[in-house]
Amino acid sequence: MTIIRPREIVCLVIGLILIGLMVATGGTPAVAAGEDGVGAFSATKTVTREFTQTDGDTKTVETIDSRDFTLKVDHTQNLRGRERVAISWSGAHPSGGRAANPYGENGLKQEYPVVIMQCRGIDDPSLPTAQQLDPTTCWTSTRQQRSQAGDDSAAPWRHDLYATESERAKKTGLDPIPAECNDVESFSTHLTPFVAASGKVYPACTAETMPPEASVGSAFPPAELAAFTDTDGNGSVNYEVRSATENESLGCSTSTPCSIVAIPIMGISCVDADVACQQTGRFRPGESNFTNDGVDPAVSPLYWWSESNWRNRVVVPLTFGLPPDACQVLDKRPPIAFYGSELMNQASLQWAPAYCLNSKRFKFQHNRIGDDPAYALVEKGEAPAAFVSGNREADSDVPVGYAPTAVTGFAIGYIIDEPDNKGERGTLNLTPRLLAKLLTQSYAGSTKGQQHPGMATNPLSINLDPEFQAINPGLDTISREAAATVLSLSESSDVISSLTSYINDDPEARAFVDGQADPWGMVVNPTYAKLKLPVAEFPLLDTFVPTSNQECEQQNPSPYFTLLAAPINSITKIANAVLDGWPNTQTRCDRATSSDPYKIGRIDRQGIGKRFMLGIVSLGDAERYGLHTAALQTGPGGDRRFVAPTPATILEAVKIAKPKTSRSAFTLTQKALRAKPAAYPGTMIVYTVARTTGLDKKVAKNVASFIRIATTEGQKPGSGNGQLAEGFVPITKSGVTAALYAQAQKVAKLIEEQKVPAEKKAKVPKAAPVAAPVVAPAPAAAAPVAPAAVVPTVAPTEEIVATSAQTSRPAGFLLPLLIGLALAAGVAGPVTRLIARLRVQP
Amino acid sequence: MITHARTPLTRKSATLTALVGALSMAVLIVSARPAEAAYAQIEGSGSTWSQVIVQQWISDVDANGIKVTYNGTGSSQGRKDFAQNVTDFGISEIPYQGKDEFGAVDSAGDRQFAYMPIVAGGTAFTYQLKVAGKLVKNLRLSGETITKIFTGAITNWNDPAITKDNNGRVLPSLTIVPVRRSDGSGTTAQFTAWMNSQYPAIWQAFFGKSGLTSYYPAFGKSIGASGSDQVMNTISGSAGNGTIGYVEYSYPVNKKYPVVKLLNKAGYYVEPTQYNVAVALTQAKINNDTTSQAYLTSILDGVYTASDPRAYPLSSYSYMLLPTGANDRRMTTAKRQSLTDFMFYSLCEGQSKAGPFGYSPLPLNLVQAGFDQLKKLSDADPGVDFKNRDVTQCNNPTFVKGDLSKNKLAEIAPQPQACDKVGAGPCGEATGTAPTTTKAASKPAAAAPVAGAAPVAAAPDPVTGEVPVATEATTETQQQGSVAVPTELLSGRAGDTKVFGALAVIQLIAIILAPGVGAVYFRRRARRKLGALS
Repeated sequence: MTIIRPREIVCLVIGLILIGLMVATGGTPAVAAGEDGVGAFSATKTVTREFTQTDGDTKTVETIDSRDFTLKVDHTQNLRGRERVAISWSGAHPSGGRAANPYGENGLKQEYPVVIMQCRGIDDPSLPTAQQLDPTTCWTSTRQQRSQAGDDSAAPWRHDLYATESERAKKTGLDPIPAECNDVESFSTHLTPFVAASGKVYPACTAETMPPEASVGSAFPPAELAAFTDTDGNGSVNYEVRSATENESLGCSTSTPCSIVAIPIMGISCVDADVACQQTGRFRPGESNFTNDGVDPAVSPLYWWSESNWRNRVVVPLTFGLPPDACQVLDKRPPIAFYGSELMNQASLQWAPAYCLNSKRFKFQHNRIGDDPAYALVEKGEAPAAFVSGNREADSDVPVGYAPTAVTGFAIGYIIDEPDNKGERGTLNLTPRLLAKLLTQSYAGSTKGQQHPGMATNPLSINLDPEFQAINPGLDTISREAAATVLSLSESSDVISSLTSYINDDPEARAFVDGQADPWGMVVNPTYAKLKLPVAEFPLLDTFVPTSNQECEQQNPSPYFTLLAAPINSITKIANAVLDGWPNTQTRCDRATSSDPYKIGRIDRQGIGKRFMLGIVSLGDAERYGLHTAALQTGPGGDRRFVAPTPATILEAVKIAKPKTSRSAFTLTQKALRAKPAAYPGTMIVYTVARTTGLDKKVAKNVASFIRIATTEGQKPGSGNGQLAEGFVPITKSGVTAALYAQAQKVAKLIEEQKVPAEKKAKVPKAAPVAAPVVAPAPAAAAPVAPAAVVPTVAPTEEIVATSAQTSRPAGFLLPLLIGLALAAGVAGPVTRLIARLRVQP
Repeated sequence: MITHARTPLTRKSATLTALVGALSMAVLIVSARPAEAAYAQIEGSGSTWSQVIVQQWISDVDANGIKVTYNGTGSSQGRKDFAQNVTDFGISEIPYQGKDEFGAVDSAGDRQFAYMPIVAGGTAFTYQLKVAGKLVKNLRLSGETITKIFTGAITNWNDPAITKDNNGRVLPSLTIVPVRRSDGSGTTAQFTAWMNSQYPAIWQAFFGKSGLTSYYPAFGKSIGASGSDQVMNTISGSAGNGTIGYVEYSYPVNKKYPVVKLLNKAGYYVEPTQYNVAVALTQAKINNDTTSQAYLTSILDGVYTASDPRAYPLSSYSYMLLPTGANDRRMTTAKRQSLTDFMFYSLCEGQSKAGPFGYSPLPLNLVQAGFDQLKKLSDADPGVDFKNRDVTQCNNPTFVKGDLSKNKLAEIAPQPQACDKVGAGPCGEATGTAPTTTKAASKPAAAAPVAGAAPVAAAPDPVTGEVPVATEATTETQQQGSVAVPTELLSGRAGDTKVFGALAVIQLIAIILAPGVGAVYFRRRARRKLGALS
């Protein structure tokens, strides 16, 4: 009798593999199924269009167009919600009637585009029907893209060669057509209902009968599009996939496979000589249709669901990664909240679950507030720790430690469309002077701004500036108010300090701010001339109110340049504005009805194809949202170059950072950065700052353990819980970041120990008791000093927080001096008397 | 995942399989997300008044796997979006008004909903006023003066009413430029509701009718700005000298910008700190009729007239519009669960950070009532897990355990200083300074000195006649050179302590050395005289 039979061995092996798999995937997205780990996709398919010629009784089917369509996708595995995949193709029918915005229903008025959409299911006839995709599982954000109705003469789908007889019937899609569709009896009607992951069927004939994620003004813009193919048959897009978290009705997840479906529109193949069916387009290949004129429906994306088009599809199977484990909302542990820098935003989001999910750790939270107020909270003992990215002016003698926690930085994020809808601009170069021009509001914005004294000849927006054009050739020359500014922070931040220091240390930019015209004759807005930099909060100095003939502007006189700049209070909000192509420019002036007063407000979202907007963002947010970031000019006079934020260029910058003491941040000046041509000037180091004395022991231990975890497992790049988000460069034990690592460990120890430094110990407790008896005999002298002076010496040790703000530093250092003097004088008094007597008596 | 366990097996191999299965289950339990945490993204829009703290809560619950998007479009738009099924929730400071002042419908239409308070706060008046190039940071105004400023009756900073509010300090002759919200705003609604209740004669003569408005009428020299961010930009910009506007306290606090100390019924000028707001809101009359659609909305007249010396009169709540309908078009089980847990966190633990962000936490009774509203989501959909989500689970130091109606903040709130009283002061410290957490005030050791120190600080020094107020807080190092307005009764400045210190040193030296030196001098003189005579 054998102990283990083969079947059991198989069982055991399967079980062990399962365990292995689960261990491997715990906390991180599942390992990719493909060999390459990302699942690059490529496929070629012959796509055709046929017409039927009727000659008496004989019908001949003639292929009028045939092409070999090749589709490539850069990665398809382990996707996360809102991740973008790069899709490119060749061999498609050249498109005509290019729309300014190809997404959602805006892309319908085009000819021969490639329709790209996300559908639930896989294109495998061997699978059960529920797991297969078909047009009813493909997501569109409007009903116009799904359901059509019209006169019989304008219903080319009813003449589709590849459709079945029943599919060519007058009413198709749902039987019967639901009453809420208000269907017109005499029309030909086709519905493409949407079947949600839950099984619910949405008739999709009105806005109300669409799934909830399809509402107008939804948080996310449409992802599906009718993409343009150039005259050579090539095209490309970045396609944003949606998981069940973003789109529950579509429902794509680890367990529910989905696909990207690409349909190169060839035009409907016709079963007869119907005129509407045999249309071939009215636009020339490559021609634009920005005015949204009518197109030939038979070759438009409107009937993507018709069998003629659908059969030409190329289907790209996708897999979605496991969503990371999440903290339990019922976790009873009180949170330990770190306050500070928004630069840490993406890192904190990924780190937080790694703390709460571990019962031995604590519940980590990051309260996003400015560097200064965060530091103030730590000093006052009201917050355990702060994230700051530079040295702070100490307001008290409270000893704190600076533990380097993240290497990241800021970037100038942008969304700029190439002219003629050739897609988004992928690289952008900016000089310190261009940034100075933007921040000092030296672009006029419009003719209104040109009324500003001293700015009549300045360009209206940055894309019209010859300096910008010389280093960024090929962009459009349409003036825009939004392109006259860079969306910035309204509150104080180390990011603004660093950015304005970068401007200040560049001789050309500084000279421009000081009033020297650039080589093309542009001058600084006189209001900002000679502005002292760097600043932590960029001031809105301009007070110019243009004269206007418009009633609206007469009713709402406002400083024009403040309306253009309109900074906001969160760096993440800036990233979102750039992502949406929605400038915060406040120059829209309108009224609800003609009887209402005029109001000013934020301008509309920019139309895709004509977007141009810049914003100051964090590298973490830029990576998370896939924002483009500008390369910034740096390097000494002879070796100037444009450096984009990459791990390599950031590490170059870190090499310059010099440690001082564990009680302060590393020295990393823009001046030093500029001397190193390959270093990215936006590099910033974020520190965890905490008190090294006076902190609650348990809290101190947690802060120390946070620093240790954050600088070890927290520096492992990845998208999983506890790992380092993109936009951050790992701090490692050896290599360029070794000094940062070493200081972090040292400071962690200091914080954990909470030892009162030796010299403080000696001074503080002694001073107070001595003060009373000595000062007492000399009331007249002590009166004005004592009340102010006693407080600060006690404050650091006993955390008299509420009053510590009202202490005086001069009094603080004067007290020991005074006591010393008093002591000396106390001795000196009798001594002088004695001497006097001795001298007198002899 | 472990389907192999279902294949028919012999007993032994079944045992083995079970073992392996159990093992893998154990691993699964360790690595898998909790079963109940099936969340779907939820979208909301509305108030900018409460946006600062709502954004922080959204960041916090991200760790729980809950994804929330929020768009600060203004309360009016938020109510509209919710009514039109564009969003999953809305946030507004005021309830649906039935009709807006343009006659357009302002209701939720046929969408079923409930109001739920989410956070308290003070509507602050922030301003830019420079005297000799320095920013005034300790301005005080009465409600009547504010109302007259915002109705165009007071147009200059040197107006006698403002002088009186500031205990005789005359401000420079400078046109007052009120900054109003141009978009439909809950902040505007809060402010105008207060004027309508407290100064009806002034407000209604200006507005032409009674009642509040979300759209502040244009008037005189006033400027319209869209959203709270833009109100702050307009005021803090260089063109802003002479401006005054209204925003939630978090905006000036985070920007370290001064706010007006507003006169309360007890005769004290107070700032909308979390304490003063909590004290005032103990007088809010909450609609406790659970059958009413307006359940939990508040009548704030008692708040406006609260007689506690600490109460900030313009305190109020912000509300979430919860989609409670069982057949709500947008809602699913996963979305309801997201909303339930997002709000469970925000109402519970999330309240504890209200103070540092410039808000004030809800008292426990409102949190409890909010939970009852929240429960309606699980009533509408049995698939929603509401188990164990109750107030006893809240990690919130501002709640008083065992007493629902008490607000700990209101109990530990420090008393105003003597110099904040009508006819005294004004106090010299800057307003709108760095945030404070509840930790500081909840420590008796810390709270006591504030109250105790006040009279000491306010009493003029008998020798110099100066008010020995300690130097100003951290803000001064930041805002270079911006100090309190110099007045006859001068507030303390950083330089003073140095001078006094030096003076004290000299005096001390003099006192101790003088007797000895004097003795020597006089004896020598006596000797010389003696010598001369002899």
